[in-house]
Formats: sequence, C-alpha cells, structure tokens
Amino acid sequence: MCGIAGIVYKDKKLHNIGNDMTNMLHELQHRGPDSAGYAIYGGTGLKKNEYILKIQVKEEQRLLETVKDAVNMITPIQSDEVLPSVGDSFIYKCKIELDNFSELKPLISQVDTIDDVIVLNGSQAFEMIKDVGSVLDIADRYDVRNVRGTHAIGHTRFSTESGVDRYHAHPFQTYIIRDISVVHNGQITNYWKVRDPLERKGHIFETFNDTECLVHYIADKLDTGYSLEEALEQSVEDMDGPFSYIIRTPQGIGIAKDKLGLRPGVMAETDDVFAIASEEVSLGQVVDTHNIEQISPGEVMVYEI
Amino acid sequence: MSEDIIELDASTLTPREINSKVKENAGKGSKILIKNPNAMHYLVAGVVDEADIKIDGSVGYFAGTMCDGSKIKINGNAGWFVGDNLTDGEIIVEGTAGDGAGQGIYGGTVVVRKSVGSRTGEIMKNGTIIIGGNSGFMTGIFMMGGRMIILGDVGEDLAESIIRGEIYVKGKISSLGYNAKIVKPTDEDKETLKKDLAKYGFNLSYKELDEFKKVVPESKRPFYGH
Repeated sequence: MCGIAGIVYKDKKLHNIGNDMTNMLHELQHRGPDSAGYAIYGGTGLKKNEYILKIQVKEEQRLLETVKDAVNMITPIQSDEVLPSVGDSFIYKCKIELDNFSELKPLISQVDTIDDVIVLNGSQAFEMIKDVGSVLDIADRYDVRNVRGTHAIGHTRFSTESGVDRYHAHPFQTYIIRDISVVHNGQITNYWKVRDPLERKGHIFETFNDTECLVHYIADKLDTGYSLEEALEQSVEDMDGPFSYIIRTPQGIGIAKDKLGLRPGVMAETDDVFAIASEEVSLGQVVDTHNIEQISPGEVMVYEI
Repeated sequence: MSEDIIELDASTLTPREINSKVKENAGKGSKILIKNPNAMHYLVAGVVDEADIKIDGSVGYFAGTMCDGSKIKINGNAGWFVGDNLTDGEIIVEGTAGDGAGQGIYGGTVVVRKSVGSRTGEIMKNGTIIIGGNSGFMTGIFMMGGRMIILGDVGEDLAESIIRGEIYVKGKISSLGYNAKIVKPTDEDKETLKKDLAKYGFNLSYKELDEFKKVVPESKRPFYGH
C-alpha cells in the first residue's frame, strides 16, 4: 500500500512540523511497516551556498576518515556529526559550501564511489530523514519531533519492489532541480518506458525503484520549461499503473493521482494549513476534517509555496 | 424508562474488539454508540443481527461491510467502500465518503449526505444508494441491479458496462459509459423518488424532481468486452 502525507503552514513561519508529520505518518503506519521518511523544509538555517550531506557509512572507523577525505578534497567540511547507527551502518552528516548547485551531484557521485558508502541526501532547503522501521522508532531515533519547518512531506512504505533498506525508503530526490523530493504510493508499471528516454538524456539512476524514476521525470519536465501543474498533468498521461504521489519542488507542493483513481488521496485546507494524505485519519492530526475533499482520478493539484 | 445504550470507546479498543462487542450485543434490542472512531478501518464489519448503531465521528475503510439488517449512522465522514456488500439494513453517512461507497450491495440502503469519490455502487446487485452531493468517475460501473440516486453531478463514464439497475442524476453528467443510456423518468419514478428521498430528509419539489435524468442499460444482454 504505502501511506503519503504533506503539510504546508501558510504563514511560512517555523512550526513543530516534525511533530505534526510524525503524528500524520503514525496514523498511516498500517499502510506500510517497512520504512518511513520525511522531507522537512524551511528549517535548515543554511545559507544559499551551504548544503547538508547525509552519508550512510558501514560501521568501520577507517571508512569515515575516507569519506571525510573525499569530501574535503572537493570542499572543506564546515561542521559534522555522526548520527545513531542502525544495523551495520551509521549516518554521517556534514555541512559544506559550494559555489554552484551544479557541483553537488559530482561531489555525491565521487563519494558514492567508495565501497560500503552511500550518499542518502544532499540538500539546502530541507532535511531528509528516512530509515527502516516504524514511524515512532524513526522519530525517536532522529529526534524528528523537534525538527522545525514551514512545510513537509512524508511516507510510510510497504515495499512491493526494490529493497527494504534505508536507501530505498522514501522520499526520493534528484540533483537536477534543487531541493526536489517525492513520496509515492503505488506502482509505475511502464517504468522502463519512462526511464529509457530519461537515461538517453543523461539522467543517472541509482536504483530500480519507480519512485526515483518519477522524481527524475518531473525534474526533467521542470528543467525543460513545464510549470509544475503541466508536469503533473503530463505525468498522469505518461505513467501507467496505480499511483498517487506528492512532490515538493521550488514552485510548490503538487499531488497527482492515476486516471483510474486506484490509490487514495484526500486533502483539507484551513486558514492556516494545507494538508494532503492517503487517509482522513492522517489529516485529522493537523486539521479539522469536516470539509475534506477526495482527490479525483487523474486529478492534479498544486499548492504554491 | 431510560434507554439501554452500550457505549464503546474506539480509542481504547481494536477494530476486532469493537466488532466482537457489537456482535455480542446485536439482536438484543440495545442501542450501540461507538465513540472516538478516529477514522478507524473495518468498524462494524459483518454484523448480521439487527442493531441500532451510531458512530460518533469519521470512519476509515470498509465501515459496515457485509452487514445484514443493522441500522448504522455515521456522524462524520467515511473512507473507501462504506457499506460494501450490504445485504439489508441502512447505513447513513452524515459527511462525505471515499471511493466505492455501496460497492457490491445486495440490498438495504446506503445514504451519504455529502459528496463521494469514484466508482460509487460498483457491481451493486440490488438495494438503494442515495448521494446528497456529487459522485465521481465511473459511478455505477458494472452495475447489475438496484437503484442509485445522486442529487449532485457525476463524473465521467457513468454506469460503465451497466447490465441491470437504474441511476437517477439530478445534476450534470460528464459522460456515459459503455451500454448506458439516458431516458426520461416517468411520473411513477418521480413519485417513488420523492417518497424515498423524503425518508432521509431530502425534501424535493416536483420542479426539482423534473431535473432528474434516469440512466439505464442500453441492452440487458450479457456482453464480453467492447
């Protein structure tokens, strides 16, 4: 199944959005027990040229030094910390500066060449937190309830394809568009038909996960001049299978649903909050649900941020 | 004499526990009140003895599925497939409902006061579905019998592959599905609509009843593909 959720505070001020999203995702736990994840925007406090890298490193001290050397070769590490380890690996988080966003992907590719090391996330405007396990465990593990922000998307995963590990947990992102992320419920059944043309254009895929394909597809459309709404509408035409997804781009938060409406989606809006989720039970954590709306088959929706 | 009401607090019970308690008390003349449902799935599933059940809040998926003879009132919204496979009795949703409301019902009545999602009354065989607002895409798909009354608009492909049954629509019809056609309701149809709608608080004038379109199968012969 999978559960997806999104929330935007309209005043654009910082709120305890990590706590809100945890509550929303916890209510969707039954839709996916394998992993969960968050993309929390607006609270990183980073300057324009600063980025956070989150790197999964196998539990070996020598590897951490190798990772640091690889990053320092390209740009000096400004600050860093080691997050709690799970299984046989831990997450190394560091802050760096780059002159241009276009330098981020080559840096990540360079670090990714180190055996037993995977870059999970590189971002400026958002904090990505994702891992295997239950929502509440992950929230405790990474102190998510205390992460503040202006808007966020989140996911609980019931794996139907590709691995159950931290890397395959949602959200997914690309480095074609700055700070884009997506959470997805469903399957893109014409995956290769969508992926092949993107690869021919130079997109590099790290997994065989259809959600990664989806974020590349939208990023490509935005990069070639589509508005977010146009990109979402085109995705409904081009993607086969049952799906609903929430995507955050610099233009706004968008949601799209397949033409047959085979995956659920409801939304509610108040004076303060815009919220989307797979089920009402999740929306009920952050808004009054007397006036919820069903998202129709084939419908797309954009909330500008 | 005070009324005998069994109160169940859904915030402290699992759906299985709630449904077991509802079944234990059904058929004994008691009223059952379920509080704090918090959009829980599968509430009041498979209750086959008569019971008067009120749910105070929104419910999740498959509320009232496979019930036979109970009267269920939901003071909130319902998720997907409310009233699925109902055989007799009544389910009233005071708010909105998701996709597949009244899916596959064999009898009884499902009423949703506000709008519903897609595929309302999918493969319904008998019984009545009343929607106070709009109904989405493929309403009445594969309908095999019974009657649906929609006071608002309906989405594309209404009554796709319908083989039996009838759908009354007061608002706009985006498009008809395969094997569906629109006919004019008879005076007898309108009288029946007036009476049945009034039973659930939808009091329509004759002028308003004139706005209804009746959708029926083009052919009642079974077909394979199209």
